[in-house]
Amino acid sequence: MSATMARAGFARAGSAQAGTLAWFARHELRLAWRDWVQLMSGGRRLKDHAVLIGMAAFTFGLHWLAYALLSAFFAQGARLEPGTLALITAGVLLTFTMMLSQAMESVTRAFYSRDDLDLILSSPASSRDLFLVRIAMMALTTAMMSGLMVAPFINVAAALGGAQWLGAYLVVLAVSLLATGGAVLIALSLFRTLGAKRTRLVAQIAAAVVGASFLIGLQVVAIISYGSMSRFDVLNSALIADSAPGTASVLWLPAHAVTGNLAALAALLMLSAAFFVFAAHTGAVQFRRIVIAALGVCEVPRRHSEARRGFRAQSTHGALMQKELKLIARDPWLISQTLMQVLYLIPPALMLWVNFGEDAQLPAIIAPVIVMAVGQLAGGLAWLTISGEDAPDLIATAPVSAFARLSAKVKAVLVIIAGIVTPIVLAMALMSVWGAFVTLCGALIAAACAILIQLWFRAQAKRSNFRRRQVASKASTFCEAFASILCAGTTALVAALNPIAILPGVLAIVVMGVAWAISPKRA
Amino acid sequence: MHSPASEAIPALQIRNLQKAFSAPAVDNLSLTIRAGEFYALLGPNGAGKTTTLRMVAGLLEADAGGVSICGIDAFKDPIAAKRVLAWVPDEPMIYDKLTPLEYLEFVSGLWSMDAGLAHFKADELLERFGLAQHAGERCQGFSKGMRQKVALAGALIHEPRLIILDEPLTGLDAGSARQVKSVLRGIVAKGVTVIMTTHILEVAERMADRIGIIAKGQLIAEGTLEELRARAGDSGTGLEDIFLDIVNGSAEAVALTDATRRSQGAAA
Repeated sequence: MSATMARAGFARAGSAQAGTLAWFARHELRLAWRDWVQLMSGGRRLKDHAVLIGMAAFTFGLHWLAYALLSAFFAQGARLEPGTLALITAGVLLTFTMMLSQAMESVTRAFYSRDDLDLILSSPASSRDLFLVRIAMMALTTAMMSGLMVAPFINVAAALGGAQWLGAYLVVLAVSLLATGGAVLIALSLFRTLGAKRTRLVAQIAAAVVGASFLIGLQVVAIISYGSMSRFDVLNSALIADSAPGTASVLWLPAHAVTGNLAALAALLMLSAAFFVFAAHTGAVQFRRIVIAALGVCEVPRRHSEARRGFRAQSTHGALMQKELKLIARDPWLISQTLMQVLYLIPPALMLWVNFGEDAQLPAIIAPVIVMAVGQLAGGLAWLTISGEDAPDLIATAPVSAFARLSAKVKAVLVIIAGIVTPIVLAMALMSVWGAFVTLCGALIAAACAILIQLWFRAQAKRSNFRRRQVASKASTFCEAFASILCAGTTALVAALNPIAILPGVLAIVVMGVAWAISPKRA
Repeated sequence: MHSPASEAIPALQIRNLQKAFSAPAVDNLSLTIRAGEFYALLGPNGAGKTTTLRMVAGLLEADAGGVSICGIDAFKDPIAAKRVLAWVPDEPMIYDKLTPLEYLEFVSGLWSMDAGLAHFKADELLERFGLAQHAGERCQGFSKGMRQKVALAGALIHEPRLIILDEPLTGLDAGSARQVKSVLRGIVAKGVTVIMTTHILEVAERMADRIGIIAKGQLIAEGTLEELRARAGDSGTGLEDIFLDIVNGSAEAVALTDATRRSQGAAA
């Protein structure tokens, strides 16, 4: 940046009174915008044609999916019956739980991450104003993230059913205000009841549980009531149609707001804004005290109970594995993520238990869920162990070959995966040995694919950058997701002895080939 | 600690080492460091000190040249070379979620040490660095000085014959710096070779047996403090003046050479 430009920047910043809400808002908006661009472009220039084409293709794909799902509803006249309202309300609730989870994560991170807090707290500016702006930015970011995902559905609904459906964008904003306000109040109460020391772990685990709870809850109800894993079975059931209140009930307020009912929309916006202002103000006033307490916790070293036990005799390989397992076990954020993956395994486990011995086709239904969860979990763990190394120089200067280093890290991932998969596969084996065998093979192949992709795309990073791993390499993220999906599909079809299994199987090999071809080549 | 025969073999021998990024970073550098020597490598920022040492430690691949560590060809048999080497970077890289004791247990495992001996050594090192009361605390709240001492303990636990330290005293308070210097003196007295880069010239002046000065990827001067003084032509000056004389003299010489080349090119 030239000196002239730098001076121009100072002049612009000077146009708002320093230290005011507007000044903080401008600062936060600039940071949020740069973060957003980084997230969207994966660090490449936004003008890059490949980035623009990729974004356009992704947007088109989502709109096509939305059209496929919504066209029938609008072709039938888009009647707002209790079943439809229940479906929309469930969608709003699902969005709310996801947003609440994301907001809880952001609020907790704001407490504990040091980033610029030293600078802010040591400056004479009002930290209350800054935190107020920061909480508002959390709400905005949360709304934008979810807005991106639901935008194709809203756009398609507006195109097929009329412009009033665009009001759903305001519902996204209202839900985001409710979720962020809720997250702030939850975090504050956790801090008050548990103290700074335990809040981080509990809040991160709670965020993971909240994020998955609604979806899993619906699945559990579907399994217990209908013996199926489909959420739509519950929402379209006669029970909902019979017991749901009339369409004028206040319970359907969010659903009516989504459909563009102005009175419902205004009421929802006012309610959510009032709640958010209360929560944000309460939070901003207490934020400084809490942040200082939280930073204090970071400073206080944690005493380890095993400090005085003897050293274990171990090989180089064993030392590397032990280290990886220990670090993974001590990472609260990772624990919450792992827990979330494990939570998604609850419905299939429950289904196994409910239908024990009755349904021979059950493994074909459960296997893909297990394989998907294992693939995703293995990807995250493999990134942490292979790329997320905090002492790369130490490891590189140790008298260990690169192969031995990597194999120890891979084994650590496999040990964790085995610990999670084994009980479920054993339970399946009691019902169908073939199904259990296929699930085990599928899970191992999905884990192997995820690990291989992480090996091919490995890049040195700090473990704390785990959240940003998907931003760093979008190609590896997509390859990992596609490979998991295709492995899951293949497993389900093989479990059902369907010869079409060869199709997703071949596609999975193609995805792995593409991943290898586009991965950075090493000497 | 080591036999006279092993002392005859240089602790480090660098032959015509080369590395270029966009421009040459290390330019045909040769250097020999004797066993049991305390060697300080000095140079202005970007001179190629860290690049050279990272190649020696096996953290960076050389474009050309060779490196022998205690007689072992580090490029042909890196694992054997690493067994006798320890590297301490300027930014201490340790695991926040491990305690110092766990960190040392991990390092001793990497170097396949006997568990009993490793534990004994770990206790001794933690005591020596004043970290004994923090042995069971996770490193995440440690100051830079404490982290540096943990990293240094990790470097010493497997009893290396050659220790390379990149700016080990940066960011340390006076007490910690003294502790580190005392430990380094102690290990040199036992016959271990220490190579250290530093910008704190007073430390090099007081501690080093020999000093090497690098500029633009080349070794431009080397010797004891007295030899460097003699080269600078002033017996009364400190290392700072000598260093600046040599580095500036070298820069002027390089500039003169470049200008001559340019004018010769223009004339041609």
